Amino acid sequence: MASLRTCTRLANAARFTPAVWRRGFASVEPIAATTEKISASSELVSEKKTSTVKEPAPDKDSKIKTFHIYRWDPDHPDQKPRMQSYTLDLNKTGPMYLDALIRIKNEVDPTLTFRRSCREGICGSCAMNIDGVNTLACLCRIPTDTAKESRVYPLPHTYVVKDLVPDLTQFYKQYRSIKPYLQRDTPPPDGREYRQSKADRKKLDGLYECILCACCSTSCPSYWWNAEEYLGPAVLLQSYRWIADSRDEKTAHRYDALNNSMSLYRCHTILNCSRVCPKGLNPAKAIAEIKKGLAVTG
Amino acid sequence: MASIARPAVFRQVCTAAPSKRVFSTRTTPLITSAFRTSKPLSRPTPSTIIRETLPKVASFHATASRPILPPPPQRIQGTANDPAPVPDPSAFHGAYHWTFERIMAAGLVPLTVAPFAAGSLNPITDGVLCAFILVHSHIGFQSCIIDYFPSKRTPKTRKGLMWLLNAATVLVGVGFYEFETNDVGLTEALKRIWHA
Repeated sequence: MASLRTCTRLANAARFTPAVWRRGFASVEPIAATTEKISASSELVSEKKTSTVKEPAPDKDSKIKTFHIYRWDPDHPDQKPRMQSYTLDLNKTGPMYLDALIRIKNEVDPTLTFRRSCREGICGSCAMNIDGVNTLACLCRIPTDTAKESRVYPLPHTYVVKDLVPDLTQFYKQYRSIKPYLQRDTPPPDGREYRQSKADRKKLDGLYECILCACCSTSCPSYWWNAEEYLGPAVLLQSYRWIADSRDEKTAHRYDALNNSMSLYRCHTILNCSRVCPKGLNPAKAIAEIKKGLAVTG
Repeated sequence: MASIARPAVFRQVCTAAPSKRVFSTRTTPLITSAFRTSKPLSRPTPSTIIRETLPKVASFHATASRPILPPPPQRIQGTANDPAPVPDPSAFHGAYHWTFERIMAAGLVPLTVAPFAAGSLNPITDGVLCAFILVHSHIGFQSCIIDYFPSKRTPKTRKGLMWLLNAATVLVGVGFYEFETNDVGLTEALKRIWHA
């Protein structure tokens, strides 16, 4: 059998076979136009005699919801951003907005672009503005009220790369500027690891959980106005995470880096950051703690 | 706070907020006709093509564009892997300024209540109140200018407005001084205006 296959392949490679036989495997021409029979069991039927299978009628109890989604394509910079509407049956869609977006991308429009990774609120990739609130699409339930239409935008006041994908370069550059790592000059006392009391560890609760999804920063009006210089709630929360760390020895340097008119003090306690945080953290409290620390130390 | 503020109430307020006119999925005949009459001979622009070929696509800006402080082009200092520049520490623009601002704001509360609660009008209290109001409003306006006119984007406007604010503060200061020395004073004036 194997030798027969080899022979056939060699014969094909040598191009002894007529064109009609070689094209029997895949054809783009209508079947009726070719003389060759593909299946021995059934006779060929012309397309004119076949019937068209119609789409199944929608269920009576289907819950059709409309999603308006922000679209902008960098390949067509002359076109303005637009809202595109998609309708989905909620009975066939998962409960979260990310499920709906993935279903639209898979089944309706493969050109829809968004970031997603973990689908459980750990990676912070799918941050977007859903029905007017910055949140993670994977943690935001779709309201089952089908009369109300949903609107999905990218994070507000960001430069848009495509559709729902914002450019977070400045955000990450600012994160890098606060040196988000342990800074020490002295070696650990026991020569092995930097130890911390339970009380000191407790100070980091509510700070270390931040996933840097940028929901809070992009909801802050002050950050909208001065993103070049003001660090924004997310980065300030991270800054406080290292100020509050008992093992870090560069606390004074960290305070100094924030002690100017722009980096920290553009916070006007608007508190949008604490309202939108999808992880339930409180960046405004962290900022207040930094301000308190600076007022004491100068 | 965040957990209290989260419930569905907010979500519903937010969904109710955007006006239907701006985001309507149908193009109104008014807009299309205005579009066509303004450019009768030109080729159909991409936006009209979108409207005609894709029926469910709404134009994003149904209203006329209003060029109020357009977003500047994106500028990245250095490469994407460089940290954002850290400004030099200056406590007089940072921590001291903030503390001074809070003391001023907190001090205004007793100063406003005191003359009316005590029932006596002391020219020194009046003068201190005037000075606090002056400095408090100066700091407040300064903060507005810093917020809305970033020195990186609009350096000349920023500088001009700062000088305008300084001039206005001096003017108001002189006005307060004249009012206190030659007239009845701030507290007495308020008392005469406000009959509650």
